[in-house]
Amino acid sequence: MTSSVATKPQSSAQAMSYALAYAIAVCFVVGAYATGNLDNLIQMVGLNSVLESWALKDYTELLAFVLIVILGSIVALLGGQTSIIMAVGTVGSFFSLTLNQHPLIQYLSLAAVLFAIGLYGMVVSRNAVRVLMAIELMLNAVNINLVAFARYVDPVQVKGQLFAIFVITVAAAEAAVGLAIVLSIYRNTSTVDMERFNLLKW
Amino acid sequence: MEQFEMLKALAETNVESFMFYILATVSILLAFGVILDRTIIRSGFILIGVFGSICGLFLLLQAQFLALAQLMIYAVGITLVVVIALMLTNPRMENGKLSTAAPANQLGAFMVAVGLFMTIYLSVRPENWTISSEPLDTANVEVLGRALTTDYSLPFEFASVLLLAALIGAVMLAKAEKPPKSGEEDFEYSVVEESAAEPAASKR
Repeated sequence: MTSSVATKPQSSAQAMSYALAYAIAVCFVVGAYATGNLDNLIQMVGLNSVLESWALKDYTELLAFVLIVILGSIVALLGGQTSIIMAVGTVGSFFSLTLNQHPLIQYLSLAAVLFAIGLYGMVVSRNAVRVLMAIELMLNAVNINLVAFARYVDPVQVKGQLFAIFVITVAAAEAAVGLAIVLSIYRNTSTVDMERFNLLKW
Repeated sequence: MEQFEMLKALAETNVESFMFYILATVSILLAFGVILDRTIIRSGFILIGVFGSICGLFLLLQAQFLALAQLMIYAVGITLVVVIALMLTNPRMENGKLSTAAPANQLGAFMVAVGLFMTIYLSVRPENWTISSEPLDTANVEVLGRALTTDYSLPFEFASVLLLAALIGAVMLAKAEKPPKSGEEDFEYSVVEESAAEPAASKR
């Protein structure tokens, strides 16, 4: 991600090919995990006893996740296209973390992924309107959680869906007021750059 | 090839899980599009795709009312407001250099996001949920409506008051203000006003 700044002068085609190679590698890791070959590999290398000593024997999917993250950071250091690496790595680790789980945990993990993406975007983007979009993304992730609970934990009185309705209401109010604030700030300072919103500074 | 056959068999046995993974992949990729696209107006339109795929997830979870509410409120309403706000502010300023923060901030944000995800995942992962095996009531819109008008009528009223307050507040905030800011401008403004009023008076 950031490390590619150091190796900027590389051609974009090369960066793209690195990212594609990373995508293929992630496919292999996820495939190996899904077919159980990764477990065999762990036993072969001898990592099994290490996992057991940390009481992580049932968490072999964490190993696939760590593998994907390490591969991604290596490729990013080499100068691959960081946005593609991030997207591919996220999808790959989401697959490997949830493939053998109950549907409820799959939905909760998806919501966690979307929430983390929204948090990242909220911190990284400098346009105020894009920050508001990231906040909408996070609110939607929470809604997925609530509806999944309504489906799998409380299917008779669907209270999760009720709470989701209230969350949608508050999100609509937040979007209206937030965008109005952005508009009035733009009218006063003629910028929407988050780093120049220092009206309250003296 | 053998693994491909396995995947195919998996898709045939469990359509719901297969659809979930397709919709999840689409929503994650489009969410990255919203965050990382250089052209901000395009990311505003990609947002519609994210909300649409989340609407599909709600349909998979048998929340029909919420799926349609999601489509109407988020995918049409909020995205429309966002795009109009983009048109009223100046998107030309954001040409690549304004789209991202400093590299150190990016790395920090990435670490925080991954840490947050791992925390949530590890706390969700243990399988001690009290999962109910009952099927969802097919008439769950009726259940929702009954709950909103009986047990939850007070929060419902509060929500409507909140919406009204937010609407009035948004109009007040976004309204173009006529009065000038500094005293000097105020003076010029009044002078212009007088000179504009004079010919009309002399005509009479």
